[in-house]
Amino acid sequence: MFSENQSLLSRLIQNLLLIIYSIFALFPLFWMALITFKSDLQMFNTTFFFTPTLENYKAVLIGTDYIKTFIDNVIVSGGAVLVSVLAGVPAAYALARFNFKYKEDLAFTILSFKFAPEILVILPLFMIYQKLHLYDTYLGLIWVYQLITMPLLIWVVRGYFEDISVEVEQAAELDGYPWYSVFWKILLPLIKPGLVASALLAFIFAWNSFTFSLQLSGFNIQTVTVASLRYIASDTVHYGQMAVAATIAALPEVILALLIQKHLVRGLSFGAVKG
Amino acid sequence: MKRHWQKIITLTLAIAMILSLAACGGSTATTAAPAATTTAAAAGGGETSAAAAGFDWKQQDGSKLRVMFNQHPYAEAIIQKIPDFTALTGIEVEYSLTPEENYFDKVTTALNSKSGDPDIFMTGAYQVWEYAPAGYVEDLSTYINDAGKTSPDYDFADFYPGIVGSLQWDLVAGHKTGSGPQWALPLGFEMYSLAYNKTVFADLGLTPPKTMEELKALLPKLKEFNGPGSYALAIRGSRNWATIHPGYMTTYASYGAQDFVVEGNKLVSKVNSPEAVAMTDEWVQMIKDGGAPSWSSYTWYQAGADLGAGKAAMLYDADCNGYFQNVEGASQEAGNIAWIPAPLPEGKSDIYSNMWTWAIAMNSSSKNKDAAWLFMQYFTSKEYTQWASVNAKVVDPARKSVFESADFQAVLDKAEGFAATFDAQIANTGIQFTPQPHFFETTTEWAATLQDIVGGKYKSTQEAMDALKKKMDDIVSDVEVG
Amino acid sequence: MAKTKPVVAEVTQENSLYNKKPWLTRARPYLIIAPSLLITIGILVPFVSAIFYSLTNYSFRSPNWKFIGLDNWFNALTSPEYWHAIWVTIQYAAATTISEMLLGLGIAILLSRETRFTKILRVVLIFPLMIAPVIATLIWQLMTNNSVGIIEKFLNLFNIYNFTWSSSPKTALFTAALIDFWVYAPFVIVLILAGIQSLPKSPFEASRIDGGSAWFTFKNLTLPMLKPFLYIALIFRLMAAMQEFAIIFALTKGGPGDTLMNLSVTAYNTGFAFMKFGKSLPYILTLWLIINIISKRLVANWQKVMKQASGNS
Repeated sequence: MFSENQSLLSRLIQNLLLIIYSIFALFPLFWMALITFKSDLQMFNTTFFFTPTLENYKAVLIGTDYIKTFIDNVIVSGGAVLVSVLAGVPAAYALARFNFKYKEDLAFTILSFKFAPEILVILPLFMIYQKLHLYDTYLGLIWVYQLITMPLLIWVVRGYFEDISVEVEQAAELDGYPWYSVFWKILLPLIKPGLVASALLAFIFAWNSFTFSLQLSGFNIQTVTVASLRYIASDTVHYGQMAVAATIAALPEVILALLIQKHLVRGLSFGAVKG
Repeated sequence: MKRHWQKIITLTLAIAMILSLAACGGSTATTAAPAATTTAAAAGGGETSAAAAGFDWKQQDGSKLRVMFNQHPYAEAIIQKIPDFTALTGIEVEYSLTPEENYFDKVTTALNSKSGDPDIFMTGAYQVWEYAPAGYVEDLSTYINDAGKTSPDYDFADFYPGIVGSLQWDLVAGHKTGSGPQWALPLGFEMYSLAYNKTVFADLGLTPPKTMEELKALLPKLKEFNGPGSYALAIRGSRNWATIHPGYMTTYASYGAQDFVVEGNKLVSKVNSPEAVAMTDEWVQMIKDGGAPSWSSYTWYQAGADLGAGKAAMLYDADCNGYFQNVEGASQEAGNIAWIPAPLPEGKSDIYSNMWTWAIAMNSSSKNKDAAWLFMQYFTSKEYTQWASVNAKVVDPARKSVFESADFQAVLDKAEGFAATFDAQIANTGIQFTPQPHFFETTTEWAATLQDIVGGKYKSTQEAMDALKKKMDDIVSDVEVG
Repeated sequence: MAKTKPVVAEVTQENSLYNKKPWLTRARPYLIIAPSLLITIGILVPFVSAIFYSLTNYSFRSPNWKFIGLDNWFNALTSPEYWHAIWVTIQYAAATTISEMLLGLGIAILLSRETRFTKILRVVLIFPLMIAPVIATLIWQLMTNNSVGIIEKFLNLFNIYNFTWSSSPKTALFTAALIDFWVYAPFVIVLILAGIQSLPKSPFEASRIDGGSAWFTFKNLTLPMLKPFLYIALIFRLMAAMQEFAIIFALTKGGPGDTLMNLSVTAYNTGFAFMKFGKSLPYILTLWLIINIISKRLVANWQKVMKQASGNS
C-alpha cells in the first residue's frame, strides 16, 4: 500500500507519529513497574532517579493476602477455560462438520452471550446464586465465566476445524479408525496450536473480568481486579503498593500475550478474521 | 530464530515469576492475617489488680477469642498489647486485619451467618444503626453494671459522655443517639476542626479564621501560596458518605440545620430548609473559591497529604488527620501545623462538631461472651488507653483522664492549639445525624448532589437540595418510626 | 463468521452404530453441542427472571415483596435519571468508538509499512489490551494524581497545574474515554492491520501505475476492501462500550455527581448499592434492548458486506 519512493520527510513524520503512540501505549506500563520499587518517602519528590527498594513488594506479598487473591484468579480463570475447552471443542466440531437444523441459530445464540450486558446477568444471578449456595464459590464463578470463555472458544476453534479439509478425516476413517480415534489422534494435534492460543486468550479475558467477581464473590474468593479496587479507594498513600498490585495482576497476561502472537487476530475477532 | 528467542525470553520470565511467588510463600485463606505476627512487646501497659469481690481477670482462663479488625492505627495498637492480655487472662486471641474498603462487607456477612465468629469486631457508630436493629450486637450495659464481670477500676464515667453516648441508641429510627443500650465501646475518636500551616500564616501575616466570613476572606489571599498548584483549603469530596460526615456535617449542624425530622411515623428530610440551603451555598462557594480543583476525588488521605505536602494551607477535617501529618518525619510540613476550632457560622457562638469513633462491639451470637467482655474492658481501660495514646498514636482518646493526663498533654504540646481546640469543642461534640438504617445511601446521594452543585448542574442550590430531599425521602420511605 | 460453505462430514463406516440407528446420526450433533449449551443457557435463565422481577418491588432489604405491575417501568421512564443514563451511555459509546475506530485505522495504516520498527511495534502494542480495564484505570489514576502523578509533573512543565481529569464534569468523560482508548485501541489496530495485510496487492499496483493519488487509493480501494474488518471492529467495540461498567466504576463510581452514570452503573447503584432490585431492572433491560437491536442490525449489515467482499475478490 505504500510506495517505495516516499519522501524522507513523509517517512519521518510517520515514524514520529508511531513513536508518539508507542509512548502513549507503553509508558504507563513502564512507569507503573518503575514505581513498584520506589519507597513511599521518595514518592513525592523524585521522578525517575531514586534508590530502589523491595519494601513495597514485601508489604503486598507478605503483608496482605494478595497471593491468595492471585491464586484465586488462576483457579477461577483456569477452571473456566478448562470447562469451556471440554464442552466447547466438541461443540465447535459439531458446528464445523455437521449440517443440522438450527445450526446457525445456535451458533449465533452462543455468540450473543458475549454481547449480553454483564450487569444484566449479575443482578438476577446474585439472588439465584444465594439460593443455590453458589455465591462466593469457585464453582459459581467458573460457571458464570463461561459467558466470557465459551463463545470465544467455540467460535474460534470452529474456524480452525473448518480449516482442516474433510479428506483428512475421511482418509483416516477409511483406514479403519473409529470416530473418537480420528478426533483424538488426528484432528486435535492439527488444531492444537490454535486451540492453545484460544484457550490462553480466553484465560486472559477471564482473568481481566471484573463485574462478575465484584458481585458474585465477596471475601472467600477475591479476584485481583476486585482486590485492586481496594487500593484505589482506600485511604492509603501507599502508591508503591498500589503499583505492585497492578503489576502483579498485569504481568501474567503480558507474558501470555507474547506466547499467542500468531493466533491473536483470529482469537480476538472470534474467528471472523484470519490473522 | 527470532521466534526462538521470544519463546526463551517468555519462558524465562514465566519461570522467574513462578519462583518468586513460591519464594514469598502463600498465605492461607483463613481469617488470621500473615502480617499479624509482629509483636512489639513494649512494657508499660499496666495491669489492674483483681482485688474486688468476685472479679478476677483469670475467670475465663483457657477461652479462645476471635476478633475482626479494620486496618487502622487503633487496631495496630491493640495487636501490640495482645500478648499482655493473654498473659493476664489466659485467653487466647486470634484476629484478622482487613483494609477498610472490604472490611464492613466481611463483618456484615460474618454477623449475618450467626455462627458466633467473630466474637468481637471493630465498628463505627453509623454501622451500629444497621447491625443493632438486626439483632447482631450484644447490649453491653448488663456487663458494665455487673461487678462480678467488670474490674472495679474500669470507671465508666471517665468516658466523654458525648463519645460513649454516640454508641447508645434505643433502636427507634428518628431518635437521637445518647440513650438506650450500649452497643459498643470507643477505642478512640475524632472530631472536626481546622488545621492550618502556622508558618505560612506567619509569613503572610494572616490570622487564622474564627468564623466562616473570615475564612471566606482568607481564601483569595492563600491562592497559590506555595507556588502554582497550591491552594487554600483541603476538604473531602469523594462520592460517598465520608464526604458529608466530617467538616460538612459539622458546619451544617452548627448552622442549626437538621438532616431528618420525624413527622407522624415517617422520616422527612430537611436538607432543603433555609439554613441547610444557606450553609450548602457557603460550602460550595468555599470549594470553588479556595478548594482543590480535583476536590471531587479527594478522600481523607488525599486531603491530609496535601496539608502535609505544603500544597494546602488549611485542612477542615478530622483533628487527628492533621495530627498524623504533623508527627515528626511524617510529612514535609511536619511541625508547622496548628489547630483552631471549626469556623463559626454567622451569628452563632457554638460549634456542634460531628464525630467518628472506632469502637469494639460484641457479636450477639458469640459463644464466649464473658471472655469477650474481658477483652473489651481491657482494651478500653484507663491503663491501656493511657499507654496507647502516649505511645501508639491513638488520638483522640475517649477517656477524660487520659486526655488530661500530664503525659498525654506533653505529647500534644508538639501540636500547637490541638488541646485548646479539643477543650473548646468537646462539650458539643456528638453524632449530628439522625440514626436510620439507610444512612449510607442517603449520604452517598448527598455527596453526589454536592458534586453536582459544584459541577454546575443545577441553577441554584435550592433546586439541588429540593431534588436531594425527594431522593432521601424516597430512600427512607420504608422506615417506620416509633 | 464461517467460510463460504461449511464442509460437512459424512459417516462412512459400514458397521457403525450410526448406520444401524439413523436417528442417532441426526441427533449426534445436538448431543455433542448439548453440554456447552446447557452450561451457557443455564446462566441465562436469570434473564427471564429479570423480566419477572422488574414487575415487582423486590428489594434485598425487606422480606416482603409484591407485584407492582409496570410501576417500576413507569417510574423509570418518567425519571430524569433514566434519560440521563441513556444519554451518558450514548455519549460514552460514541466518544470511545469513534476515537478508537478513526485513530485505530490511522495507526494500523502506519503500522502496515514493513520495517523493523513496525514489526517490533506490532508485537508490543498489544500489551495495553491485555491489561484488565480496572487495573488500567488504577494506573491512569496514579499517573494523573494531582500530587504525585508523573503526568501531573509533566503538565507542570507547561504551567498546567491540577488538571481535573476525572474530578470535573467537564473532563470526566474525556478521562474515561482516554482510558478506554488506551486499553481497546490495540484491538481495533490489530484487526484492521490483519485486514490490510490480507488485501491483494494487484489493485494497488494498478492504481499506482495509473497515477492515482494516495487519497484516491485510500478512498476507493483501501476503505471498501477493509469494510468487513472495520465492521467487525465496530461491532465489538460499540457493543462493549455501550455497557461499559468496570472503567467507570473504578474511576469515579459514576461521578462526579452523575456525570458518568450510564445505564450499567445506574443499574448497579440502584440494584446493589441501594438494594432496590426491582427498580434497577428497567435500566438493565433497556440496555439489553438497545444492544440487541443495534447488534442485530450491524451483524446483518456485516453479513451483507461479507457477501459483497467475497463476491469481488
